[in-house]
Amino acid sequence: MREDSVLALQRSLVEAALMLDPAPLERDPAGFAAGRGLPRGDQEAFARFKERLLVYRNLVRSDLVEPVERICYVTRALMEQAGLWEDCLAGFLASRGVRSAFYRDLSATFLGWLAATGWGRERWPFLLQLVHFELLNALVARHPGAPPPPGLRAGPRAGDRLVLAAPTQVVTYQHRVHLSTAAAPVPEPGTVHLLAYRDREGDAQWLELTPATAALLLAARAASIGRAALDLGLADPSEALELLGQLQAKGAIAGFTPDLPLPGRPSPSAA
Amino acid sequence: MATAPLEPFTGVGLGLRHPHFQAVAERNPGVPFWEIAPENVIGDGGREHDRACRALLRDPVISHGLSLSVGGFDPFDAEYLEQLAEFLIFTGSPWHSEHLCFSSVDGSVTHELLPMPMTRAAARHTVRRARELKDRLPVPFLLENITYYAELGESELAEPEFLSEILDGADIGWLLDINNVYVNSLNFGFDPRDWLLRVPLERVAQMHIAGHEQWGDLTLDTHGAPVIDPVLELMKWVLPRIGRPVPVLLERDNDIPDLEVLLAERSAIQEAYDEVMAAPARSPHA
Repeated sequence: MREDSVLALQRSLVEAALMLDPAPLERDPAGFAAGRGLPRGDQEAFARFKERLLVYRNLVRSDLVEPVERICYVTRALMEQAGLWEDCLAGFLASRGVRSAFYRDLSATFLGWLAATGWGRERWPFLLQLVHFELLNALVARHPGAPPPPGLRAGPRAGDRLVLAAPTQVVTYQHRVHLSTAAAPVPEPGTVHLLAYRDREGDAQWLELTPATAALLLAARAASIGRAALDLGLADPSEALELLGQLQAKGAIAGFTPDLPLPGRPSPSAA
Repeated sequence: MATAPLEPFTGVGLGLRHPHFQAVAERNPGVPFWEIAPENVIGDGGREHDRACRALLRDPVISHGLSLSVGGFDPFDAEYLEQLAEFLIFTGSPWHSEHLCFSSVDGSVTHELLPMPMTRAAARHTVRRARELKDRLPVPFLLENITYYAELGESELAEPEFLSEILDGADIGWLLDINNVYVNSLNFGFDPRDWLLRVPLERVAQMHIAGHEQWGDLTLDTHGAPVIDPVLELMKWVLPRIGRPVPVLLERDNDIPDLEVLLAERSAIQEAYDEVMAAPARSPHA
């Protein structure tokens, strides 16, 4: 027996596990095998082990779905209300898009599949944002982190730039998905800015931000806090400095660094 | 065959699982070694990860992988192998084990341990892949016999011969999962002791022991229940025939109970282990 026959058998089993409709395998397992070019002996084995091949279908599907269901439980509730969760998962599995060896990547793969296919978006325009928010909590909690740049200060000054903690993200949604629950999964429309961060205890947290604060957090990463505040119409940066100090204490901001010229950026005196 | 020294990897260890990270990070509750899947550590972060790393740095650790798809055809991920090598050095694992199975095809990952066709071609292919891993990893490489529920295609070899061809052909050690042998014996109707007389016990470097559950007329290797007496008896039967104090690992991956419950089960298995190892070794075929 040649090695390409081994690959053909492996492809057949994975197809049996992930294909949308198992009926061809259930109805005629030998025919299913024949249709994939497997020789008579293999066809007979498929017929002999039909029920157990279907067990593998259950096992594979359960393995791939369980991490998604654990993280995206509000999304699941949303779709179950419409009787569409199983359809959605079946489409996801049939796409055979899981490429990562890491379980923790499965929900991100699911989100990527929803984004690429547009599945459910017409019915639920907020769907991607909802799944993204559910995933965000897990990503923040498990972010591998990175050592902060050397020389960061704990207290902000107007001439400093801020450095967010590695797990921290500032996100904007067009629906209030952060308030969705399994009991009430449909979010209200409305722009919302969130700061997602890992607190000092290691738990994922989020804070709803005003548009100005969200803009400040983004702008003060590239320019001094004083400059960013001024651009936002705040002549006195003291309120911004106090807020940033509080966020640093919570763990959202790694620290502050003098606004020295960045590589490729002209210094203020050269401007 | 290259194997690392057994010390301190002897006795009965425990799989280190997420619900117990905090307790284990605080103190080692008398477990001689832990086993952990590198996929659950590499690239991860956060509080639970830090807790796991504290235990992994402090205590003896054995690495047991889930994702290399040794019998598959997808090329090994070079970046992952580099990360795995770093992990193995970081933990001081004496070896790295994987399953005799495939889990991905054409880049599509199933996260399930799927059975190999028991053919000479599949054995030749797996030998090449196992040799490649043996060459690319910084510690010895072991393969574990899996539970399987169906033969994939027409078999040319019985499982003991298939397994022997691969272990001998790749010249690697064996992680003997005694529960898998037992579960397969129920599902395929053979005598597990006869099976164990047909395999190269001299290649065993580690053992797994676990619980299983019934699902209709099929016995499933769920790692979701306590070890039952017949499996424990099988461990006691085979250990003297291996003739060396190979480490035994108690696996529990589903319905994970409180750590104290698992520790009690581990202690009971350790007692059985100690009792057997105190007796003279037996010939593998006695």
